[in-house]
Amino acid sequence: MANTQTDPGVIPGPTSRAFDMLGGTPLIWRMASLALFFAIWEIAGRTNFNWAFPTFLETMAALWEMLANGSMFSAYGRTLEPLVIGLVISLGIGVSAGVLMGLRRDVEWITLPVFITMQAAPMAALIPLITFVYGIGLTSKVLAVCMLAMPVIAINSYKAVRNVPPSLVDMSQSFMGSRRQQVFKIILPAASPMMFAGIRLGVAEGFSGVVLAELLITPTGIGDLITFNRSVAKFAHMYAAIFSIVAFAVIAVSLLHRVETSLFRPEKRGA
Amino acid sequence: MSLSRRLILKATTGAAALAMLATGALAQSDPLRVGLGDIASVESLNLLIAMERTKERGVPMEMTFFNSEDVAVQAALSDEVEIGVGAPYAFMANSKAPIRMFYRMSTLLFFPVVNSDVYSDWTDLDGEEVTVHSRGSGTEALMRLMEQVHDIEYSNLSYVPGSEVRAGAMLQGTINASIVDATNFRLLQEKGGAKFMRLPLDGVNATDEALYASAETLEARADDIQIFVEELLRTWQDIADDPAIVGELRAQYDLLPDLPEDVAAEAVPYFAEAAENGIYPLDGGEPQDARDDIAFLAAAGQVTLNPDEVDPTEFWDFTALEAAKAAQ
Repeated sequence: MANTQTDPGVIPGPTSRAFDMLGGTPLIWRMASLALFFAIWEIAGRTNFNWAFPTFLETMAALWEMLANGSMFSAYGRTLEPLVIGLVISLGIGVSAGVLMGLRRDVEWITLPVFITMQAAPMAALIPLITFVYGIGLTSKVLAVCMLAMPVIAINSYKAVRNVPPSLVDMSQSFMGSRRQQVFKIILPAASPMMFAGIRLGVAEGFSGVVLAELLITPTGIGDLITFNRSVAKFAHMYAAIFSIVAFAVIAVSLLHRVETSLFRPEKRGA
Repeated sequence: MSLSRRLILKATTGAAALAMLATGALAQSDPLRVGLGDIASVESLNLLIAMERTKERGVPMEMTFFNSEDVAVQAALSDEVEIGVGAPYAFMANSKAPIRMFYRMSTLLFFPVVNSDVYSDWTDLDGEEVTVHSRGSGTEALMRLMEQVHDIEYSNLSYVPGSEVRAGAMLQGTINASIVDATNFRLLQEKGGAKFMRLPLDGVNATDEALYASAETLEARADDIQIFVEELLRTWQDIADDPAIVGELRAQYDLLPDLPEDVAAEAVPYFAEAAENGIYPLDGGEPQDARDDIAFLAAAGQVTLNPDEVDPTEFWDFTALEAAKAAQ
């Protein structure tokens, strides 16, 4: 069912068919693909092409060691703090700014260029600037998360509101709906799927932000595990820390994706 | 054999000969590239002078700058630089990569300092908080080692990068026990007088920076490296004899021409003080230094090796140094 129902007006090309096939692949094939990747990693590690590249098994052993001695959990405790605070702020400001920009032209003129600049600017280059102003504490790290996560959330919310089908708004007007009813009963519900997609992208960016901040500002949490193990040349531990943050981000973003499909795409439920 | 075939054959032999000639000529003029894990500062002047003097003896040299010492190690392994600057003991111990140190440039010199209103002795620091540079840094290693030597245990090590930041925090009174470099210790003495007390660091002999190269380079460029080491020994000796020479040679070779005047003016006092404190050893290193380094790093938990069982040749190659000393 899910494979046949595509958006009207979109012609399925060879790539979309390939994606459909991937989406419909049973779990076992996805596991096989992961297993293949890990096998290649293991072989690459064993060839010693680089002195600092550990094998997959060494990395997993290091990961297990860090999980067992608790250093991984305390690191995530530190890392999650700026990440969660930053994401909450980004969601609040990003969504409301985006919706306002979508609804009002004057707000759009003033605010949109700011977000477009923030999205286009290479943030790693601006992080030192944050530290000059806000020091090396939690504030700077929260700001780094916001600077990466907020633009994509705001711009997606703005586009979502802008792209609400005009026929729906016309309908609300013909039913004598007030502006308030128009916004809360028509525009926001119609915009929410795309807004949610923006939030998902924003969370993914937030992970980049927090890791960048922990690598560039002061090493804490997962950034500390990476830099410390690098400085004492425990490369298996360093890769294990990187692996864990990648896996964590992938899981978090996939979970959000699931929430998104089950909330907004009734036709894809259970797919 | 047809004419065209003979022509092709001739052309290829000719090209091959030309290529061999070209690579031969290239090998002659290949510079020794030195990879620094930092930007060049006043503290690199002695190295820069030794490089200029090596150039004068017909060995071309270049300096490349990297973001960190780890990158310099990788560059030395992949032949993007011939010589790296640093003390990559942990890397060598854990990866068994074929690189060896060949010249000890400087020793680690830091000053553990406490607010004398609060503490007066190492034993006072038992159960107290101490601030160091970062995890895995030399300052942390020194403070951990002192914990063992004096049989005490800090309640916590906190990390504040930058000696000047820690010195500032000591002056403000936010922290009462830390470890700073020579420049900032002098600053603390100037501004705080007797308020800041230096705690003794006995029996620590650790390398801060050494020069290293891959085993392959050490063998293939043995002659060039020996000349470089001779000039390093000569320069270190000259500076120890008369630190003012740094200023003269900087002007003569036009080194770090972009340095602001006030920073450049610090060069001679810096080297005078360094010579006094023995930061720059004059012998280029010896096997016992390697054992001391391992003991220091093992105490700090950065390597898991027994210093008594360690074979210095797993980390060092003294061939060039011995040859250079013999040639002097």
